[in-house]
Amino acid sequence: MICRRATIVLLAALIAGACCVLLLSRTSYSEQDRLSPLAGASANHPAGTDQLGRDRLVRTAAALLISLIGAVVGSLLTTMAAAGIGMLAAFGPALVGSSTMLLCDVFLALPWLFLLMMVRSALPLSTSPAASVTITFLVLAALGWPACARTIYRGALQLKNADWMLQARAQGLRTTQMVRRMVPNLVPLLVPQFLVSIPAFVMAEANLGAIGLGIGEPLPSWGGMLMEMGNSALLLQTRWIYLPVALLVTVLLLLEAVAMEA
Amino acid sequence: MKQVLTAVRWLARTVIVLLLVMAGSTLLVRFAPGYLSDAREMDARHSQPVRAELRKESARSESFASMLVSEIRGWVHGDGGISRQYGVPVSELIAPRAKMTGRLVLRSILLGWLLAVCAALLTSRAKSLVLVWQVPSTFLLAAPTAAMATVCLLWGSGGPVLVMTLLLAARDFKFLDRALRTAWHRPDILHARAQGIRCRRILCAYILPAIAPQISALASLSIATALSAIVPVEVIFDVPGLGQLAWNAALNRDLPVLLAVTLIMAMTVTIARTAPNHSMESRTV
Repeated sequence: MICRRATIVLLAALIAGACCVLLLSRTSYSEQDRLSPLAGASANHPAGTDQLGRDRLVRTAAALLISLIGAVVGSLLTTMAAAGIGMLAAFGPALVGSSTMLLCDVFLALPWLFLLMMVRSALPLSTSPAASVTITFLVLAALGWPACARTIYRGALQLKNADWMLQARAQGLRTTQMVRRMVPNLVPLLVPQFLVSIPAFVMAEANLGAIGLGIGEPLPSWGGMLMEMGNSALLLQTRWIYLPVALLVTVLLLLEAVAMEA
Repeated sequence: MKQVLTAVRWLARTVIVLLLVMAGSTLLVRFAPGYLSDAREMDARHSQPVRAELRKESARSESFASMLVSEIRGWVHGDGGISRQYGVPVSELIAPRAKMTGRLVLRSILLGWLLAVCAALLTSRAKSLVLVWQVPSTFLLAAPTAAMATVCLLWGSGGPVLVMTLLLAARDFKFLDRALRTAWHRPDILHARAQGIRCRRILCAYILPAIAPQISALASLSIATALSAIVPVEVIFDVPGLGQLAWNAALNRDLPVLLAVTLIMAMTVTIARTAPNHSMESRTV
């Protein structure tokens, strides 16, 4: 319990810190200081600048918030879709159930990253950065539901055959009424699924961005910052380039700890 | 007879899943918002009506049905279609790279499993060693593959095999450790230990057969994990494999190649996922 609280407090502190950096900073994430590209830490730029002279601390803070907001929204959508589909499969006719599970098999057979690459590569050449964020996380949400839907389906089936449910059916409760009573009982399944998806989405976005298919510039993203590390010549000039990776791993560790506790 | 029926059912399900994967991927690509955009549209010399005409022309020539038919025809002929970027049959691009990726995946899976099994066996018996393995494994699981690969590349230590081995070992260790720990605390195993049966005998005769289904499921999961990790690993380490080919195809909008690689991956994952279930079913029959 103490461990869980400490994790949540640390995570909240990181988010609050990122908000403070964005609010208090005099520069925006895309503003360039053309006189000092790749500068080290200074009073103006506490974590230095990138190769285009943009403040690294501000960009890291923005990347943290963008990825977290995107991952939370995506995860929420995925969990809701999984709950709906799982319940439909459990309460619908047998044919619907088996077709839904077949659809889950199809989605599970497709490796995420390849599908994401396929969709990202087919986007219009003029996609705006904001649209690329939305599309990236929407695609993640659209691909993330099958495993969760299977869990919900199994849980719903078990509940459907529980004694109290049989009694409810015998007393003439309609399917919609039964579903309404079942949802609160599925919350212990839904919450961990929601929490597990958040770090998975953050990681997927970072991996996609690191190969140049993630969120478009000038919006900052973990993947974009990882890509910057690919230029080893830059590392000789400043060690602050490691800041985004360190922070990303910390955030992922905290998110996974929260999910594990749940 | 029943075994043959089970095998036929498994084969039919696998084929249906693969056909649906093919249709689904084609549908996804065809209706992705920018599929019909052409590089020629970026040419400033073309006026707006010319660009619109270009878009209409691509829409006419590439309806979903014709795309799917040409995709299936390509696979039936064995060439997988023609690459938009290189203008050669996709199979010519895939064949040499599949070997490279296969070797990388196989070596990583074997090494990862070796490491995970050794670590899990040690920690399941000696509680004091738990933290020594769990801390690095948790840390490795939290690091994105791309970050791990980049850091390895920058430090000049380790290559693609090391990154994938560590990733797989961390993931497998987590599950194996839990399965072995639970198995060691089962009442029958405790009883056997109390009777003085040696640990090695207990492990080989009781524990490993009992957790065999979990191990086979985990093995199939390892293949899926390894295939998902090959893109960033091959791109960052510049390994000429399928992952790098897919990435290149994605950047150059070469969708026949991307579709073909995705289908190969889907086929491998489907067979890997369903084969353990099928073998278990046949054993119970």
